Amino acid sequence: MHDGSGLIAVQNLTKQFGSVTAVQNLSFTVSPGSVTGFLGPNGAGKTTTLRMLLGLVKPTGGTATINGRLFHQLGQPGRVVGAVLEAQGFHPARSARNHLRVYAAAIGVPDAQADQVLGLVGLGSAADRKVGGFSLGMKQRLALATALLGDPQVLVLDEPANGLDPEGIAWLRTFLQSYARMGRTVLISSHLLAEVEQTVDQVVIISRGQTMFYGPLDQLRQSQQRRVLVQPSDVNALANALRAEGVHAIEQLADGRLAVSGVDSKHVADSALRAGVSIYGIQEEQVDLERLFFQLTSGQFAGHAPAPYKQQGGWA
Amino acid sequence: MGNLVQAELRKTTTTGLWWGLLIPTAVLALGWGLSTGLLGKYFVDFASTSEVDEVSDFLGVTPDQWKVSLFGIARAINISTIFPMVFGALAISGEINRRTITTTFLTAPSRMQALLAKMLVYVLWGAVYGLAIMLFLGIGVVLTSNAGQLPDAGGWVTLTLVCVLSSVLMTMFGVGIGALIPNVAGSIVLLLLYFLVIENVLHLVLAYLEVPAVIGFLPNGSINGLTGSAAVDLFLSTAGVVPPEIEDVLRAIAGAGGALDWWWSGLVFLGWSGIVFAGGWALTQSKDIT
Ligand SMILES: Nc1ncnc2c1ncn2[C@@H]1O[C@H](COP(=O)(O)OP(=O)(O)O)[C@@H](O)[C@H]1O
Ligand SMILES: [Mg+2]
Repeated sequence: MHDGSGLIAVQNLTKQFGSVTAVQNLSFTVSPGSVTGFLGPNGAGKTTTLRMLLGLVKPTGGTATINGRLFHQLGQPGRVVGAVLEAQGFHPARSARNHLRVYAAAIGVPDAQADQVLGLVGLGSAADRKVGGFSLGMKQRLALATALLGDPQVLVLDEPANGLDPEGIAWLRTFLQSYARMGRTVLISSHLLAEVEQTVDQVVIISRGQTMFYGPLDQLRQSQQRRVLVQPSDVNALANALRAEGVHAIEQLADGRLAVSGVDSKHVADSALRAGVSIYGIQEEQVDLERLFFQLTSGQFAGHAPAPYKQQGGWA
Repeated sequence: MGNLVQAELRKTTTTGLWWGLLIPTAVLALGWGLSTGLLGKYFVDFASTSEVDEVSDFLGVTPDQWKVSLFGIARAINISTIFPMVFGALAISGEINRRTITTTFLTAPSRMQALLAKMLVYVLWGAVYGLAIMLFLGIGVVLTSNAGQLPDAGGWVTLTLVCVLSSVLMTMFGVGIGALIPNVAGSIVLLLLYFLVIENVLHLVLAYLEVPAVIGFLPNGSINGLTGSAAVDLFLSTAGVVPPEIEDVLRAIAGAGGALDWWWSGLVFLGWSGIVFAGGWALTQSKDIT
């Protein structure tokens, strides 16, 4: 039925809800063996994209495939892909175990699997309690247990950290990483880069339904060039000295400081000494992923396009 | 497909809805059965007085042998099967309302198979409700009727058959409406209004317009025709020669005024169920689950 590659491929995916364009010409692939973060602010189109991938929402254009197949061509989808989605419901009067047994039957796995996944997500002691009495975090764990029932090769999670306590988030992080390390595919969405930064290896960043960045997280980190911020006694003298050494990426900031890219602070300090310029303050700018993420995705509701960002490879 | 049927079956057995609706169904059937017997006795006593001698001449049997319970039984089946219909209506609308439909579709090879499995399980539940209705109705009727007013063994078999059939068909109709109007309150209110009020008014209008034959083709008219016509057939089979005017009155009493033969009625209602299910299926098939 499918090629068993564990590959998720989204190609030119578009979804229009009436006049609202939720997803616009989105393309990316997700490979097995790593955890991929699917990031974007609220309303960016993450949930819609994942639901199209899972055959729940019909795309207006383009395709989204798992193992080279559309969802409804997978045969036994529960054994190929497991999903935790926002607004995925439970019958409040059904116990956790019975909930899992319903879907174990649908997927065609033995009932024992229900108890196994309950234990896996730490809900073993709540197995016979009605789901209506569960906290948000417990429901989130039960949703994950449901996704794991068919021992799927591909795991798709939409904002799974919502409602989880810090301990739960830490557990989820370890769990997903070990799941990916078994050679499986994990795609996890979030509106906060910081929330998944320690979990993911790859990122797909979208804004207003379009891909802004797609590649390894490390590449995203490196794409932000480090800058040295320096407050010299004589701005022009230092700038000229640096230019004479072939350093041209110099910018004057509004506060009077110089921002020098491509060199480290030691280099700048040495140049200043040779030029006879005093330094009142010097600092290397930290790579702030969150700010970068914000830059990439800002403007969603401001009505203007986000600043274009150019870099070879990885940019969609 | 077997897996999905088992999953759908488990969905129905792991919550209390099935018995929550079965209890009032049984109570209603029992109550209706008890009153049927009492009313029948009262009527037969009245008919045995000399004034209505001509009627008994028509029917060719003495009033104490009239199987009047048949009419009450037919009516009781018609009214009690409202409950399995409501049970059916919750099948899909309930899942959409609670958003469990997402997981259902994520674990099924296709939406069509998920819906078909659901329909199969609800057909089974319709039969269970039908048997329960007949059981409690039968207990009620037997407790309060004179032996002469009760159906014979063959009659009981026929009535049980049409009761189960009627219950199954009503459940299927409910499933279809629940898919077509995926809103729990909306679909149930509509069904109750339609079956208890709207179509009854329509029947009066059609009778007034002197086109009662149309009634037999309407949803409520046809499902009532299934039980009502079967009951009238049973009554007439032991009643000798009956003039057409009287037969029409008997049909009206059985709740099958203007109705077709019982099996035609069943087919017509099956058609209605098929139409609403096809509509509900088409809607659910293309629906964005967000
Ligand atoms: N069923 C729907 N009908 C209309 N608009 C929708 C629907 N679902 C989502 N949208 C719109 O599509 C956009 C993307 O939403 P969503 O995919 O939920 O974003 P995210 O998950 O990234 O927060 C939003 O503008 C949202 O309002
Ligand atoms: Mg979302």
